[in-house]
Amino acid sequence: MLSGHEAVRPTEGGIVMAHKQPIPGRAQRGAWGRSETQHFGVYKDATASIVTVRLAVASRRKVLRPISRSKQRPAQRIIMGLLSILRKLKSSPDQEVRILLLGLDNAGKTTLLKQLASEDVSHITPTQGFNIKSVQSQGFKLNVWDIGGQRKIRPYWRNYFENTDVLIYVIDSADRKRFEETGQELSELLEEEKLSGVPVLLFANKQDLMTAAPAAEIAEGLNLHTIRDRLWQIQACSAVTAEGVQDGMTWVCKHISSKKK
Amino acid sequence: MGCFFSKKSKRKSSEKDPTLTTNAAQNTTNNAASGNTEETPKQYSWDKRDKVDPKDFMLTGLKDATVGRLPGKLNGQQFVIQDCENCSIYILDNSATVTIDDCVNCRVVLGPVKGSVFFRDCKDMKCVVACQQFRTRDCKKMEVFLCCATQPIIESSTGMKFGCFQYYYPDLAFHFKDAGLSIFNNNWSNVHDFTPVSGETNWSLVPEEASVLDYVPPPDPESEFKSVRISSDAGRSIVPLTRGGRRKTSDESCLFVFFAGDYTTANARKLIDQVTEKGFALIQTKEVSMRPEDVNRVFKNNAEGLAELITKGPVVALELNGDGVVEACRNIANGVFSGTKVFVSESKNSSSSDVDNFFNFADMQMGL
Repeated sequence: MLSGHEAVRPTEGGIVMAHKQPIPGRAQRGAWGRSETQHFGVYKDATASIVTVRLAVASRRKVLRPISRSKQRPAQRIIMGLLSILRKLKSSPDQEVRILLLGLDNAGKTTLLKQLASEDVSHITPTQGFNIKSVQSQGFKLNVWDIGGQRKIRPYWRNYFENTDVLIYVIDSADRKRFEETGQELSELLEEEKLSGVPVLLFANKQDLMTAAPAAEIAEGLNLHTIRDRLWQIQACSAVTAEGVQDGMTWVCKHISSKKK
Repeated sequence: MGCFFSKKSKRKSSEKDPTLTTNAAQNTTNNAASGNTEETPKQYSWDKRDKVDPKDFMLTGLKDATVGRLPGKLNGQQFVIQDCENCSIYILDNSATVTIDDCVNCRVVLGPVKGSVFFRDCKDMKCVVACQQFRTRDCKKMEVFLCCATQPIIESSTGMKFGCFQYYYPDLAFHFKDAGLSIFNNNWSNVHDFTPVSGETNWSLVPEEASVLDYVPPPDPESEFKSVRISSDAGRSIVPLTRGGRRKTSDESCLFVFFAGDYTTANARKLIDQVTEKGFALIQTKEVSMRPEDVNRVFKNNAEGLAELITKGPVVALELNGDGVVEACRNIANGVFSGTKVFVSESKNSSSSDVDNFFNFADMQMGL
């Protein structure tokens, strides 16, 4: 933990997250109980001087137990103050996120896109090229690319892979005839170099329809449990009624920072 | 990595897995992310609803049969048709979405579909379809009398022919309403081909004189459908017969717009009857919402007083065509519709730009 002036060092530059090299320090009892020392980040404080702060993080087994203010040392009070600034900074939508929306034709991608933008979904044309929308969600600005999914134009998907932060793959849960086809396309996407490590949210869409397979069945059929190289989540939804959509997007927003540098 | 669906997994029960969320949480924790901390899996409406028998909503493997669903038997649910041969299929109700796979030589009538109709691997089909989206893939030789709210698309399909939806049965108008489809929004003749072949066209229009019942005959009088009074008379059709992309016989067109009100649909039909009686043609119709700021852009010099009318609801616009059509429309407006506020093109000099302005605007509105 910090002791006096040691860790407070002005540096150049703006906001940088997750400095690669941890600064060595003694593991000590910190403001949050017995802990490991872990480098947290560099951020700008209100008076325009930049401080590097090391923050104790409670180990996974222990519950966070804040120590009362009277027992905190001055340096710890500084850290708590800076933390609250960081929280405010993070909630401002300066983080732009690129989301790629893929899936077979007729899966419901464009309906999902319009639902995210809170627009009317009762009149949607089959996508011939692609659609883009920017949507604010949970403190992030999401730039969502919805690409047409006809078999003929799937080779063009690769033109959109670069710099994707999250992949959303939409499945028509009620089109059992094409489960194998959608599994095949998903499998190829997950082997793409330019999408390596990108978290993937699978929407098991069209749950409002009566032959819809439940998300669990789809997860099993697609062998999702064998995905080891990235974060993934499957979410049942009905894009046309919006049910389940926000739950999926909450997962997306939660896992954006794992891929971003 | 094995992402195919195996036959084995299909045999497993479709029991809901309450531990799915936990499994996902474990996965995300293993991937060193802040895991999913939800304790209880969330319940959605589909988890709570009554289970239905999927077979009630499917037609599979039938041959030489007359089958389908009578009005009121589907009630907005999904429908699936597969592996049928030489069948006459009448789905006389509104539905959520319909897929038709691996069918040969069938005649199919699909009542209004709220979402998409998707034909795959079908051959020698003759159909009457009303839907929001129309899609085909790997189909051959189909003739479709279509009412489609958006641009129909075909992929890897050949010998596709399209005509304007012409059908009537007593509950059809209600089914259109239940499916959220407007009888005035019908893009039957402007088809997009994802796999065009240079030197050939994979799709064309049916002959103008084509009569629907020659392609899709009414049901056998001995069948369960004998109680349903079906007609494909142009005069009785719920969807007005439009010429769409067919070549126009005259350079003179006229834009006629009705504003929202209790009698809008009836008035539009009355106008259509009057002009067709006089030998003019109905090219296209559109039902679309307008905002006050659109009025000036679309109606240009004649926008006065219209801004408030468009706030009441969507307008219904029609393009009529023929020599002398503008004068005829103005006379009808003054005679038959004297008590109703309408927009009619002023003269044949301005009318073609009226038509372009309006329908370009409507296409933009109804695109994305």
